[in-house]
Amino acid sequence: MSYARRAFVVAWKDLLVERRSKETLNALLFFALLLLFVFQFALGPDRERLAGVLPGVLWLGFILSGLLALGRTFLVEREHDCWEGLLLAPGDKSAIYVGKLAGNLALMAVVETLVLGLFVIFFDIDLARAFPGLPVVVALGTIGLAAVGTLFAAMTAHIRAREVLFPVLLLPVQVPVLLGTVKATEALLLGESLASVAHWIKLLAAADVVYIVAGLLLFDVILEG
Amino acid sequence: MVRALGWLSAVALALGLVMAFGVAPRESTQGNVQRIMYVHPPLAWVAYLAFGVVAVASIVYLARRRAGADRLAHASAEVGVVFTGLAIATGSIWGKPTWGTWWTWDARLTSVAILFVMYLGYLLLRGTIEDGERAARYCAVLGIIAALDMPLVHFSVYWWRTLHQPPSLMKPGGFSGSATILWPLLVNLAAFTVLYAYLVAKRARLLRAETEALA
Amino acid sequence: MPDNWGFVAAAYGLTAAVLLLYWRRLVRKEKELTAGKRIRHGHNQPPSDSAPSVAERSHQPSRTAHPRLDPDTKSSLPTNPTSRAPQS
Repeated sequence: MSYARRAFVVAWKDLLVERRSKETLNALLFFALLLLFVFQFALGPDRERLAGVLPGVLWLGFILSGLLALGRTFLVEREHDCWEGLLLAPGDKSAIYVGKLAGNLALMAVVETLVLGLFVIFFDIDLARAFPGLPVVVALGTIGLAAVGTLFAAMTAHIRAREVLFPVLLLPVQVPVLLGTVKATEALLLGESLASVAHWIKLLAAADVVYIVAGLLLFDVILEG
Repeated sequence: MVRALGWLSAVALALGLVMAFGVAPRESTQGNVQRIMYVHPPLAWVAYLAFGVVAVASIVYLARRRAGADRLAHASAEVGVVFTGLAIATGSIWGKPTWGTWWTWDARLTSVAILFVMYLGYLLLRGTIEDGERAARYCAVLGIIAALDMPLVHFSVYWWRTLHQPPSLMKPGGFSGSATILWPLLVNLAAFTVLYAYLVAKRARLLRAETEALA
Repeated sequence: MPDNWGFVAAAYGLTAAVLLLYWRRLVRKEKELTAGKRIRHGHNQPPSDSAPSVAERSHQPSRTAHPRLDPDTKSSLPTNPTSRAPQS
């Protein structure tokens, strides 16, 4: 089986499992909705104050949902005793990483679209002027989050304290992604052009490349046992 | 060898202390509080050095699987977290009379704070995994990822703080020419580096003894 | 500009205290481990020891010619301070 095919099989299996059980997706969507309420209650009804912190709150929503989604990456393998199957998989195991990453990205895309939609409705944001830029920023940020998240999910899969350790390990590493995406989103929501945040875009892109390459090279090490 | 390092660091630290108070002058704008700048930058420098050592040792471990490299990474992380915590504390103590506040999200302090949290994560991971070999492997992966991330953290934090603000906060304190300020700083820099080497050597030796004791 | 010597003292003092405490912790742990090793090495000297004596950290076998099965020797040993001296 070729590398690409193996990666595809992993992603397809995950998406199929998800489509049949809808376990993760439903819970995540509901979680996103609840987050919205929580943010609103925490920040109060003052429209202007909300407008100021909106980019940050939006990315908080993405990251919190992301932590939940990514943390579950290897849940199926772990719970159904398939971990050894991963360990024994032939060939370059980074294909599994690619497959898992693709599956996570698809999942995150659905959740983020919904969160964004809810934000537009509840916080009355004018998305139109953010438009060609915002999907780019969201995509770059999500790739960064998922690239490291998938790797760390494998790393913490067998640890008892994984629910705590996973965010603790992931969040500091994601600081550049968080800063870049929030700053870029802030500018874009104010109507500025993508070119004005070019340095942030470059940083996010560089981060994504670093994370993915590192993930590809180091995933095998995690799956040694 | 290790004991020689110990004596050397003691001597160097003593010398650094003398120079920080005896040789260095009272700074014109900040007053004597500026003398904290003879420990804070050296501590921060060691914090980053220790992290670099963790990263390199991690790479060597993954490439060669030598237990010594893993012990070096572990030791450097532990000593590093101590120095990083002190760097943050001394920076904060300096900041209170100078900026009027214990903490500010300026680029330097923020970067060091993130470094601190990464160290803690590394040590937490170490502590949570019982199997020694797996702990070594996983921590090596974490060490490498975190080290690759640090330049990105640096840039992002720097831009976050300075793009709409004057960059004066990032300028190191008072290097402009004066030898009486430069030399105490350099001596302390060297002294803390030697101290770091000594503590890491001791800690790594202790780690080996600990694994042998369990064998 | 006030001199804020209190802050200077705090910074230097904290640095010295923490580093000293960490160093002392390392030294103490090392001492514990080498002491433990010496006991175990001294204990390992007589190679013919079998089951019962392994649990005890004492030097009984090398001091008497008696087989360890003798119940008397077992009970008298643990608190014997001179057993510390390595026989090797």
